[in-house]
Amino acid sequence: MADAVVVHPGAEAYEPSWFRTYSKKIGMWLFLLSDSLTFGALLFAYSYNRLSTPGWPTPFHVESIRNASIMTGFLLTSSLTMVLAVLASSRGDRAWTRNWLLATMAFGAGFVLLHAAEWNKLIGEGLRWPLFQTLFDLQPGTNPEYVAATRNFPQFGGTFFALTGMHMLHVTIGIIYLGAVALRKMWLPILGVLAILCWWAPGPFHYGFYVLLFGLAICAIVLLLKPMDYTDHDIEVSGLYWHFVDLVWMFIFPLVYLMSTRISS
Amino acid sequence: MTHPAGDVVTAGHVQQTKAQFYWVWIALLVITVVEIALAYNQVFTPGRMLSVLLVLSIIKSALIIGYFMHLKFEAQRMKWMLMVSVCFCLALMAVFFADAQRILTLGWKGH
Amino acid sequence: MGNVQNTPHRADVGVVDSSVQHAAHAHAAPTGFIRKYIFSLDHKVIGLQYYFLALASVFTGLILSVLMRIHLVWPEWAIPGIGIIKDEQYLGLLTLHGTFMVFFVLTTAPQSGFGNYFLPIQIGAADMAFPVLNMLSFWTTFAAFIVMLGAFFTVMPIAGWTSYPTLSALPNAGSLPWGQDLWLLSIALFCAASLMGALNFITTTLDLRCKGMSLWRMPLTCWTWFVTAILGLLAFGVLLSGGLLLLLDRNAGTSFFVPGGLVVNGVQQRHEGGSPLLWQHLFWFFGHPEVYIAILPGMGVASQLLSTFSRKPIFGYRAMVFAVMAIGLLGFMVWGHHMFMSGMSPYTAFAFSLMTMAIGVPSAIKTFNWLGTMWRGKIRFYTPMLFAIGFVSLFVSGGLSGPFLAQPTLDIPLHDTFFVVAHFHLIMGVAAIFGIFAATYYWFPKMFGRMMSESLGRLHFWFTFVGTYAIFMPMHYEGMAGRPRRYGSMVVAGGLFNRLAALMPLEKFISIAAFVTAAAQLIFVINLFWSMKKGEKAPVNPWEATTLEWTIPSPPPHDNFAGNTPVVNHGPYEYSVPGVERDYVMQTDPASVHAH
Ligand SMILES: [Cu+2]
Repeated sequence: MADAVVVHPGAEAYEPSWFRTYSKKIGMWLFLLSDSLTFGALLFAYSYNRLSTPGWPTPFHVESIRNASIMTGFLLTSSLTMVLAVLASSRGDRAWTRNWLLATMAFGAGFVLLHAAEWNKLIGEGLRWPLFQTLFDLQPGTNPEYVAATRNFPQFGGTFFALTGMHMLHVTIGIIYLGAVALRKMWLPILGVLAILCWWAPGPFHYGFYVLLFGLAICAIVLLLKPMDYTDHDIEVSGLYWHFVDLVWMFIFPLVYLMSTRISS
Repeated sequence: MTHPAGDVVTAGHVQQTKAQFYWVWIALLVITVVEIALAYNQVFTPGRMLSVLLVLSIIKSALIIGYFMHLKFEAQRMKWMLMVSVCFCLALMAVFFADAQRILTLGWKGH
Repeated sequence: MGNVQNTPHRADVGVVDSSVQHAAHAHAAPTGFIRKYIFSLDHKVIGLQYYFLALASVFTGLILSVLMRIHLVWPEWAIPGIGIIKDEQYLGLLTLHGTFMVFFVLTTAPQSGFGNYFLPIQIGAADMAFPVLNMLSFWTTFAAFIVMLGAFFTVMPIAGWTSYPTLSALPNAGSLPWGQDLWLLSIALFCAASLMGALNFITTTLDLRCKGMSLWRMPLTCWTWFVTAILGLLAFGVLLSGGLLLLLDRNAGTSFFVPGGLVVNGVQQRHEGGSPLLWQHLFWFFGHPEVYIAILPGMGVASQLLSTFSRKPIFGYRAMVFAVMAIGLLGFMVWGHHMFMSGMSPYTAFAFSLMTMAIGVPSAIKTFNWLGTMWRGKIRFYTPMLFAIGFVSLFVSGGLSGPFLAQPTLDIPLHDTFFVVAHFHLIMGVAAIFGIFAATYYWFPKMFGRMMSESLGRLHFWFTFVGTYAIFMPMHYEGMAGRPRRYGSMVVAGGLFNRLAALMPLEKFISIAAFVTAAAQLIFVINLFWSMKKGEKAPVNPWEATTLEWTIPSPPPHDNFAGNTPVVNHGPYEYSVPGVERDYVMQTDPASVHAH
């Protein structure tokens, strides 16, 4: 499709960019600025609730913290592979750009899978939203600590699932985004298969099917309308998004997990 | 639509090296391990713990923003405008807490 | 300017694109109706799409306000198709009136509409930085509009445009399913669209200024669009969070905003532990900057027009820019003044009160500079100038009650009365609407290639100007007399507010003034659509203005500057320059026109 509606004349016709860089990067930074306030507001809402609730429960034990630590390692390592992809793309090394991007997606997917398993475990043990109860017709929780937390401090489960869920959504979007950049149209059938597999995922992750399907539709529209080859600028911009997702976790992990830890007993 | 001058103006950037990225990654992992160790052993009282963890997290995010997101090597005005505006807005939200504290002394307490 | 080479007007379509006449250009314009008018990537078409969306919304909002005024004074009237308006329906009308007006008119028309159309042209760019994002932004806004209409036709939300919990959070507390959920969904979509728009505006301003268009040579309209975009970028993300949490409260059973022990209709709620004040913080963190998102572009337009029609440089250009920045900055630090009544620590209230008062300083600088611009000017009283002066008048009238409301001690008795209704309608509502009208009359010749009727324009101005004061001035007195806001009719026999029956004649006067003013808007609609087809052909620069949009044909060709990029040699407000024959210097005139 002839999409080049406006071709800007050469650089000499314009004042130099005020931020001394290219537009896409500025656009992504501005988006991240706004998104950091979205997450910031959620974290402040969480802290507000926690401050105004005396006796906030601290039910996370060794296994939860161990799991979350491994997840953090995954995310940090994915950031490393992401910068290596950007470095490779700036060298013009297409093969390694793709390899590092795929590695980033693999670490990201590992993060989501571990997180999903943890969610399902917590839900099974009794940490819930009222919605989960009505949706899945759940058995009573098996862990009295989580059951008590849900009953006496509904804000605990409320903020936990809202914050980590929003973050998980961002990671998922990031994986879809990187997939489109790395594999272009080849990504569409793969994403389709992943979406179908998600249909049988346990607990709330069954609804991941719709998230992935929506992502597939957006990817298909973008890739079919603008079948362009992504340049090193596009890789760098996608990298900015990915690092931001990592960055947000650097606050969620200590505030939501580490501050709700009780190792002894 | 990219700025037509994009390539010209980014040409002067400092090239980051692989070694630098590995060092940053190791530093991030080490700080994470320190955080976990502090939480695991309940070294501080909750209030103190919160401030220590937040400081460590801010150091981590500075490393991510500065090196991984390359902001350290962008134009000065870009660096300052972006960081000052986001920190300003987040700092303002701390006003919420005056209220959260107040609620503890008001009304029906539940449980 | 003898340079009249505007393209023939194509009267058969509502949205005009002159690309057909410019087929010789190197850059092909899209052909085919859908790519050209529906999913267009051209910032001018998108600007007009936003404008007409705002037009549809403003008339929706206007009709709702007429229904409200009927209910307040003649509650027994049966409206055809609706019947007698009940008190709950009044709250629904109030909610949707506020929502349509604030989001889909005041946020949409001045910034997304005119900003989209004229920001790239005024800085000498061929389009926005991200045209596809621009298109997505419009269609997301459109989707938000449709969803909001859905809320209108299902169960109307009744919690006001601020959607305070607990009323908005509990489906069994009156804000029934559907309406409030659709409201939240619509606002979430609107937030996403505004974010896309904001980052596009900022990037365009930073990156696509033509040679010579330094930041300090940008017209004040561009400055206000730029600062407004920054406010939007930083504010809408927070509203998105709040909306998400409220949606969860309603549908997932969480209770972020619902306190424990709440009893509704005799049933204790299962929600507990949250705080409605948290919503108020999150909402007003967005909500107060939103006020400036609505009014700043109007300030830019007023500055532009006062200078142009007074044939004088704007008084204190740099002071104007710094005032806009100061307003933007302070605008983030004052949200608590909406919550004095909700209760807050006196220390916080003091800080918010002080900051709110401080906003008076840049506002006064702007007003002073507007008057200074007109002082001893050779003023040309065309319709756009009348509306620009009207803007200043309303800004002052509405602004003067601001320092009163900024003080907690005065705000507490006044906050829930019509005094506040009068205050924000004058300064934020109608002043911004006057900015939109001024911009419409000013830029119509450029957008549609034809002039609007001056006589109809003047008629429209005087009806609207006098009508606005007739409606909102008496509301101050009503407020001081204790007339509460957000209440349905107070004339019900034996009702709570019978002690206010003495205000009834005033209420009737306001309602009649509102009907007349609303009806007078038909003059504008007739003028708009009649002039599109039958108006006098517009020359390139009918107002003898200096900025870049007046150097290109009316309406502008597909890529604005016919494949070239202009070179700017002058500031935006060089009127009546001594030693220059013509009384204005175009920004693109050669540098040698006068010694700077
Ligand atoms: Cu305010």
